[in-house]
Amino acid sequence: MVLRIARKEMTELLRDGRFRVLSAVVLAVSLMSLAAGWKQYADISRQHQAAQAATREQWVNQPKKNPHSAAHYGVYAFKPKSQLAIVDTGIDPYMGVAVWLEAHKQNEFKYRPAQDRTAVQRFGEMTAAEVLQVLLPLFVVLMTFSAFSGEREQGTLRQVLSLGVSRRDLALGKALGTAVALGLVLVPATLVGVAAIALTSTGGYLAGDPTRAVVLAAVYLGYFVLFIAISLAVSAWARSSRLALVLLLTFWFGNALVASRAMADLAGWWHPTPSAVEFQKAMEADLSNQQEVQERIEKRKQELFVQHGVDSVDALPIAFSGVSLQEGEEHGNEVFDRHYGRLFDIYGRQDGLLQLGGFVAPTLAVRSISMALAGTDLAQHLDFIKAAEAYRRGIQRVLNHDIVVNQKKGQTYLAGPELWNQVPDFTYEAPSTAWVLHNVQVPLAILVGWLVLACVGLSRSARTARVE
Amino acid sequence: MLQRVLGHEWRALGSDATTWVVIAIFAVAIAYGTWNGSRWVRFQQGALAAAHAEEQERYDRLASQIAEVSAGAAVSPFADPRSPANVGGRLGPRYAALPPAPLAALAIGQSDLLPYYFKVTTDARENIVSATEIENPQRLLVGRFDLAFVLIYLYPLLILAVTYNMISAEKEQGTLALVLAQPVSLATIVLGKVMVRAGLLVGVVVVCAVGALLLTGTSLAAPGAAARLVLWGAAVAAYGTFWFSLAVWMSSLGRTSAATATLLASAWLVLVVLLPSLFNLVVTVAYPVPSRVEMVQATRVASDEANAAGSQLLAAYYEDHPELATGGAEQAMTDFNVIRVAVNDEVEKRVRPVIDRYDGQIRRQQEAIDRLRYISPAVLMQDALNDVAGTGVPRHQRFMAQVSAYHAAWRAYFTPLIFNKTRITDVRATPQFRFEDETAGTVVRRVTVALAGLAVPAVALVWLGLGRLRRYPVAG
Repeated sequence: MVLRIARKEMTELLRDGRFRVLSAVVLAVSLMSLAAGWKQYADISRQHQAAQAATREQWVNQPKKNPHSAAHYGVYAFKPKSQLAIVDTGIDPYMGVAVWLEAHKQNEFKYRPAQDRTAVQRFGEMTAAEVLQVLLPLFVVLMTFSAFSGEREQGTLRQVLSLGVSRRDLALGKALGTAVALGLVLVPATLVGVAAIALTSTGGYLAGDPTRAVVLAAVYLGYFVLFIAISLAVSAWARSSRLALVLLLTFWFGNALVASRAMADLAGWWHPTPSAVEFQKAMEADLSNQQEVQERIEKRKQELFVQHGVDSVDALPIAFSGVSLQEGEEHGNEVFDRHYGRLFDIYGRQDGLLQLGGFVAPTLAVRSISMALAGTDLAQHLDFIKAAEAYRRGIQRVLNHDIVVNQKKGQTYLAGPELWNQVPDFTYEAPSTAWVLHNVQVPLAILVGWLVLACVGLSRSARTARVE
Repeated sequence: MLQRVLGHEWRALGSDATTWVVIAIFAVAIAYGTWNGSRWVRFQQGALAAAHAEEQERYDRLASQIAEVSAGAAVSPFADPRSPANVGGRLGPRYAALPPAPLAALAIGQSDLLPYYFKVTTDARENIVSATEIENPQRLLVGRFDLAFVLIYLYPLLILAVTYNMISAEKEQGTLALVLAQPVSLATIVLGKVMVRAGLLVGVVVVCAVGALLLTGTSLAAPGAAARLVLWGAAVAAYGTFWFSLAVWMSSLGRTSAATATLLASAWLVLVVLLPSLFNLVVTVAYPVPSRVEMVQATRVASDEANAAGSQLLAAYYEDHPELATGGAEQAMTDFNVIRVAVNDEVEKRVRPVIDRYDGQIRRQQEAIDRLRYISPAVLMQDALNDVAGTGVPRHQRFMAQVSAYHAAWRAYFTPLIFNKTRITDVRATPQFRFEDETAGTVVRRVTVALAGLAVPAVALVWLGLGRLRRYPVAG
């Protein structure tokens, strides 16, 4: 019986002119966004790979110079583009793409791509994810708001129920029919997406990890089932189709457009970030705390004296200037860890609040999960920032150690390509899918909660639906 | 007769509880959006005050250091506070700041994304203007709940909610034929209905927003504030007029309330949500801006080569600027700081074409949007609101141009000092930045174009709608 109802529902939808127009629109928009996402991914990731290779080339081809000059010359790290960014660009446009890794300083990531766009960008990027998160729920709502209430208004609900059809079967059948009809739109779009990702698999990061794409697909599937269930539940519960439509549209509007902004505001209010000028000032005050640096150097000096059994710097068999450079670095690293740690902690809390926003708006939960799986969320950007910084510190250690060992008193010490090659190339390993899933367990749980709630709601409102 | 229609509509609308619920939600959203906007303005003002204080403190310290060193205190050449290279570079940079315009609270616009202060040094321009304000990128992505958001998205929805059935409901209840049996035209009735609803909604917007502005301490007496407020009111009216006109035209088609509602909601979706993001998609694909990593690399290559050629560059520089080759030019050739000036100059010259390519693409995107925007009232409204609030792209571009000029002036001030090895005695004489704001006339002109873009289709729709109303199927 369920299948029969589903078939009727599906046939009715497929014959509906509105359905055809809307699905054509949705399909066209998703294909366009996928194509644009694919092109952008291909362009940007080529540019970033080329730049990363070039910066390495410049590093190893440095002329002979003092290691510390090389440390000041530094290298650049460029954020690699995640492959699933084709589907969901996440915060990519608003995150700087390049950081200069030099001596003494943890620099900020610079050049947010959004700064190179027009103000229209702020209406939202039309990515496949945006289509799936915002447009499809609306499509679902428009197609299903009258599923029960319409039948009641036409008087067919009474007839159907008088045939002895159970209300549960009716609800299930309607849900199934809608889902299959929608599937006819979604499956081709998904296939094209998969093809686009497969075509670009030139070893971009996340390329070898199909789990992410599979989980992503499952999450979106759950999200649509959720909207179908909510929509049908409201349709069964509401007195009239008009009321059902108004309620569902209000929910859609609040969910897709208002909740994210309201939560982002709340997050900024509860966990405010400092202004750049205050942040820099506080950090520079700590950095230029010479007393602390001198104490560190003095302590290290005494240790070395004991170790080598001498009582003056000149008597040390190593170059102390390298030691004090490294101590300066260590002091700086502590300061950076403290200040950036605090800042990233604030970001993390803000992010956590946005995830909790999923309680009021399921779209927020899906957005968090989608970005995380696509590798374009804040946590993974911070992970990259940390990896780049760890690499910078590694460079400083290698170079300063070289000074310690090789610099001789009264001579100008110049190092060559052997040293530059001792610094490994910067490679970034994206966090594992398990790590990512661990980060989004809260929104995942929230989404499952919504799904359960919506299904329970549907079965209840179907059971108690008025016939007249 | 119109008066009687107005009076009746007012009573009918007022006795409907849903009207007041809708108005209350709207009022809260407007007040919150405005409050949120002024909170952001206060944050910016706080940051600029902190920057100013930091600069003052640094300059006081610098002045006393100069006095000490001049009195004979020992100092390493790298930290010498009298060295123009040190002052122009690390020690004495000044801030170039873009203060929020008087009514910035009305629209956050691009002001959360585009930097509004820079620490200007003799370093290459690109290194200076790449600084940004600290912000969680996730918050930049979702945007803020400001008044502009309420006006662009919610305001038209509410207009559609109170107008979609203004004729069809009367027809469906059977009262339309009765009313039209009186000596009154359908056009007069529609006009009366629209006027009451428009008056109510626009009234709520203006009263709540201005009230919230005043409560959050925005001064309307600031120069230019009054003119901007009038412009803002005009924008609210023009955008509202467009949506009311659309509703009138769609109502005139004579469909049922449900069908009209669906049509209007679809129109909202297409014009406010779909088209703007499609425009964005189209221009970014048509005129892609390459990732800035290319610029970073080009700068790096240029500065490597320029550094390698350091002293030759300096010789060439002297040829271009013979006035700087005073006295010990021979010795100056070996001076690190002097070479740096020439190197910086060369790097900037060579990177210029690369940066021009970025600027060119961005300009082409903007030009395309400037043409496309007439299709979407939401984009026109965004432009108008950002312009009124001074948080849009044009005012920021003006700021950037002034920053470039100031950076050039800063360098021009220090270059001869560096070449002549002058000791700085009065550090406070370094050039200062002051933002020359747009004149009210420029803003008015720009906003007027956008408002005309809203008004022309509105008039056309009303005209079409009124024509249709004459043939409206009153019964059956």
